[in-house]
Amino acid sequence: MQKQEWKTRRPSLRRRYLNNYWQLYLMMLLPLAYFILFKYVPMFGNILAFRRFRPLTGPYGVRWEGFRYFEMFLKDEGFLRAFRNTLELSLLNLIINFPVPIIFAVLLNEVRNLRFKKLVQTVSYMPRFISTVVVISILTELLSPSSGALNRLLQSVFGTQPIYYMNEARYFRPLYILTDMWQYTGWSAIVYLAAITGINAEMFEAARIDGASRWQQIRFITLPTIMPTVMVMFILKVGNLLSLGFEKVLLMYTPANSVVSDIIDTYVYRMGFQSSANQYSYATAIGLFSGIVGLILVTGSNLLSRKVTGESIY
Amino acid sequence: MKTAVHKHHVLESRSPLLDILIYAVMVLMLLACVLPFLYIIAMSFSSSEAILNGRVSLFPVGFNVESYQQIFAYPNFFRAYRNTIFYTAAGTAIALSMMVLFAYPLSKTHLKGQKFVMKLVVFSMFFSGGLIPNYLLISSLGLTGTVYAMILPFAINQFNLILLINFFKSLPEELEDAARIDGLNYFGILIRVLLPLSTAALATIGLYTAVFFWNDWFYGLIYLKSELYPVMLLLRNIVNGTTMVGEAGGVGERASIAIAVKSAVIITSTLPIILLYPFLQKYFVKGMMVGAVKG
Repeated sequence: MQKQEWKTRRPSLRRRYLNNYWQLYLMMLLPLAYFILFKYVPMFGNILAFRRFRPLTGPYGVRWEGFRYFEMFLKDEGFLRAFRNTLELSLLNLIINFPVPIIFAVLLNEVRNLRFKKLVQTVSYMPRFISTVVVISILTELLSPSSGALNRLLQSVFGTQPIYYMNEARYFRPLYILTDMWQYTGWSAIVYLAAITGINAEMFEAARIDGASRWQQIRFITLPTIMPTVMVMFILKVGNLLSLGFEKVLLMYTPANSVVSDIIDTYVYRMGFQSSANQYSYATAIGLFSGIVGLILVTGSNLLSRKVTGESIY
Repeated sequence: MKTAVHKHHVLESRSPLLDILIYAVMVLMLLACVLPFLYIIAMSFSSSEAILNGRVSLFPVGFNVESYQQIFAYPNFFRAYRNTIFYTAAGTAIALSMMVLFAYPLSKTHLKGQKFVMKLVVFSMFFSGGLIPNYLLISSLGLTGTVYAMILPFAINQFNLILLINFFKSLPEELEDAARIDGLNYFGILIRVLLPLSTAALATIGLYTAVFFWNDWFYGLIYLKSELYPVMLLLRNIVNGTTMVGEAGGVGERASIAIAVKSAVIITSTLPIILLYPFLQKYFVKGMMVGAVKG
């Protein structure tokens, strides 16, 4: 309605509009330019996936190559392995680490001693602020085969030989998932705690009068009420299925565990920066592919959720 | 009131199993968050002999501060620490100013073009340029090898921006109307009226941003040479053996000194966050709640 009014009135209205609001436009001029430069220019830089890169000739390549790089990586064993690894690690991580913060939030809400509750809550957020480098460094020390606490403990109790956990492929996924749990359980629980706090206290009161046990209150009041929040968080997670903690994987990556630890992002990194030829076009094509799959996942899961539950993130 | 509380207690059904479960989980959570740090602190203060024989667990054995003396005598550590402080301070200052200037106009839903820019912001959260195009942009701008590569590209974080936009939307409009009658323009309103009311939101976003800059190592790795390395990248190189600190006799002694030194680097590089955390955490939960309320 406002739009129509705008078109049919006298032209001086535009001037009056600018007179009123030019400062707001001026204000966002610099940040907007900045935003376009650092977020949208690289997006168009993806054009390199279709063009051959040559050093010193700029970021957009020199010659069209069509889908050559895409055909290349679809036949590349290394890429296919990275793709499988990404999906497997991501799904495992989702299955295990998605419910944990929900359970934690529900249980924390049942803690009656408010001071203790606050303490646990505050301490549990902290790992989120610790650098991934520090997390992996601590892990490396704890698990060190020569001096690490875990090996020493196992050795003294069971007499087992020390194991070099950080370098063995079969421990990579459990360690990735455990450190994720350590870092993000408390933090991810915030949103569920907020949803639980929003529940009307009278509902619990009424349930108690009807003789509902605390288990029943959790089962029939708490969980159903936070379900919409759970759905929204789930959509976000599914949408991000291809974007694992790249930096953490890179820190945990060793040639010995690469069978499972080479994911799409580390593969792109190695192709771009560590292969002798700096295969920028090839790496960009893989990055673009994973970006588009990610976008489809987000929009798809969002659409599905809107249809099924009426909840969506945008 | 008193009877209500009383009733509450009478009606509360007891489930000891649930209570045991709850407290077990909570204590486990506390221990999991605290013990790893105690272990590293103990390591950093222990003698190399005790570390080598595996006698250190949660308290220092053969207390000494040698490892700290070593890293403080190591010029690269100081340089990296100074670099990190600079990236964090400059990066956070630029990021906060950019996001404030962006968020305020974007909180005006009636402003023409606002919806379009918001769409751009949201879309860029789900699709981005990817590693290589970003790298090539930075290098074609001539920023590689300069401190700007560590600061400029990260000034606007979409999540924090939306938090701030929602916060501005939640402020009562009468405030602005009154200020406009007093003759303030939009810049004046923002700086003199809104920002003083936004300390919780700014502290929240400032904390997230500062933590990002403090913890960053990857961009240092791809953009910088070692003189400009941040402390986290130095730590990563010490832990994976790329960089050696200190000099010692035998291989065994060297290895155990290395563990004490690594631990000391972990502690000193994490200390600012751990020290500031208790003071800032009350802000960020509050700020996060305000931002989460949809405007």
